[in-house]
Amino acid sequence: MLAFLPTLAIFAWVRIYPITETLRLSLHKWDILSKNKPFIGLDNFRELFHDRLFLDALVNTSIIAFGVLAVTIPLAITIAALIHHRTASRFSGFYETAVFIPHVVSLVPAAMAWKWIFDAKLGPLNALLQYFGVPAQPWLFDPVLSVICIIVLCSWQALGYAVLIYLVGFKSLPVSLFEAAKLDGAGGIQRFWYVSIPLLKPITLYVSVVTLISGFNVYAQAFVLASDSQGAPGRLVRVLVLDMLENSFRNYRVGYAASEAVVLLAIVLVLTLIQFGLLREKGRA
Amino acid sequence: MRAHRARKSRSIKAKIAGTPLALAVAAGLSMTTTTVSAQTITVWSGYPEMAPFYEHVAESMKDEYPDLQVNVEAIALREHEKRIALGLTSGSAGVTVIELAGSTASRYIENDLIPAAPENVAAFVKDPANFGSFFVETASKDGTVYGVPLFRGQGALFYNVDMFEAAGLTEPPRTMEEYTEYAEKLTQRNENGNPTVSGWSLRLTGGGQGIAEKFWINLFQYGGSVIEPDGNGKWRANYANEAGRKALKQYLENVHVLKTVTPEMPADAEAFERGQTAMFIRESWVIGDIAAKAPDLNYATAPLPRGSIALPTNLYVNSVEGEDAEAAWAFALATNEPENLIWLLDNVGWLPNRSGVDYSVVTDRVPAFAAFVDYPEDYEFFTLPAIGPIEEVLTRLAGQLTAAYANADLAQDDAAIDAFLASAAEETNNILSREGLLAE
Repeated sequence: MLAFLPTLAIFAWVRIYPITETLRLSLHKWDILSKNKPFIGLDNFRELFHDRLFLDALVNTSIIAFGVLAVTIPLAITIAALIHHRTASRFSGFYETAVFIPHVVSLVPAAMAWKWIFDAKLGPLNALLQYFGVPAQPWLFDPVLSVICIIVLCSWQALGYAVLIYLVGFKSLPVSLFEAAKLDGAGGIQRFWYVSIPLLKPITLYVSVVTLISGFNVYAQAFVLASDSQGAPGRLVRVLVLDMLENSFRNYRVGYAASEAVVLLAIVLVLTLIQFGLLREKGRA
Repeated sequence: MRAHRARKSRSIKAKIAGTPLALAVAAGLSMTTTTVSAQTITVWSGYPEMAPFYEHVAESMKDEYPDLQVNVEAIALREHEKRIALGLTSGSAGVTVIELAGSTASRYIENDLIPAAPENVAAFVKDPANFGSFFVETASKDGTVYGVPLFRGQGALFYNVDMFEAAGLTEPPRTMEEYTEYAEKLTQRNENGNPTVSGWSLRLTGGGQGIAEKFWINLFQYGGSVIEPDGNGKWRANYANEAGRKALKQYLENVHVLKTVTPEMPADAEAFERGQTAMFIRESWVIGDIAAKAPDLNYATAPLPRGSIALPTNLYVNSVEGEDAEAAWAFALATNEPENLIWLLDNVGWLPNRSGVDYSVVTDRVPAFAAFVDYPEDYEFFTLPAIGPIEEVLTRLAGQLTAAYANADLAQDDAAIDAFLASAAEETNNILSREGLLAE
């Protein structure tokens, strides 16, 4: 038991303490500069749910998080299945590396590259669209398209990790079940749908939880896509973390930002519990 | 930090004194003391283009301070503001000279995070021969000097002379109505009628309060302001009115009706330097930027119709003492040496605030400075009020304006514009009210 103490102490210091401190701050009015932090009860939370920018950020973040989940999970399991069934190919290593690289690329340079791809005037995406007769789109300026751009960027980054985890899952599936299904006349797609997907539910649970949490913490992607040293960088898609930073360090309202963090924590916890519940329930059935 | 190291050094000396090793170690300790005596100060700037200036100032101090090491850390303004908030409150800033707008510094002064300037610095700042009262006030709080005025952001119109001539325009616009007329004439379009070169580059997107500041500049030309004082230390929103309607309508008209500019078009100084816009309103630093990046650009400047924003930036020193404070304040004063200020104007382009310096060696050679120094007698200036929530007021208004600029339905509907302005002004007043600053 004593051997665990250092680990528990570190965990308490880097995890438990910041969370409790955030909870405490959310009940206070503090401007980061003042020594006084008057207790104001739930006032920050009351204000929060009438705050246009916070509600905007909450909606955007939720759309992005679920959008990334909806894109990443089906795509990752499909790509992992394709790579798994091409294991014998001498290119299998290349496929795995190619899919995983976006996950290890530093976030800011990657976002800068995507910013160029989405550029309305000079971007290759609009050039391609125009080649096929589709009019150029203001990707980073339209309220809907700018959110889609962030979903694409986040999914592109999340995909590599999800595929890697699914590949581990595929490799651990019992071969006998697939052979039995094959003897029963099941085709490749049927085996994937009726054998692989149900057996991969624990993997799906893990990947979806990680992807959703990461989606709710989106910040740098939104910031970089709308940042520039000058004039017309793009429409700033307001997300929760960005709103928190703005309230903390631009508006000097740390207590208020802490209440946003508490709401974010609650959302992620509830969604994670729901995911666990759903997937475990269906797993038993 | 140095004081701490010195104490530690003395403690070690005491422990080893009298031991047989004392003499042998003495030589080593004296070497350590020599190393520690090299002073280091850090300069935090929110304008990357200012880095060469501070390095130039450091170089000019070498004779008097041969051991002084100056680290210049110049980053983007918004990140700089976050760095100050974290650095000063956590006490981790070291010996730091901080570049900060007077309006923002007031928060830190109120919370004792920025100390008052020493007597010699205060005397230098208060000397009417050095600074006008406007600059002294922005570097002071309740009559006490806290900072050294350095430069100011002041706006003027930059216009491309070749494009003006091609459009048959011989002089810059003189009224806000003319700005729109000119923009229409100056816009270059492709065969589909879509603009390829904007007639007037406007700040329409991005994050932060810059959008609201730019709106305020245009609003000011119509006689309005984002907030106005009541004379008793309280404030109220002042843009849900005719001036606000005219200013916002002009943006919307240019974007959605006349299409002289679109949100996705290249904008600002970069676009101007590349010939992608015919005119725009910006501060004097653009002159230095053009000299560096587009020296062949045929451009001129002109004062704005009514007046300009003037955002004075000062240098402050964090709470350090002794030799550290002395060196930091010496650096702040050295920035105001006439030779350094002329270098600043010539090489960076920001306007120095110190009077009594002959800047004509630069302004005579670069006619573009004329709009910033030779303005009409009745030319008016405004600055951001030094009140706590000013950043929040502007940041939230910027968020509202971004949405409004993208809303084509507002463009020709005065009632909708008024409703939008009333809603935004209510939010501004709510912020002021929450902070106990709302005028009745």
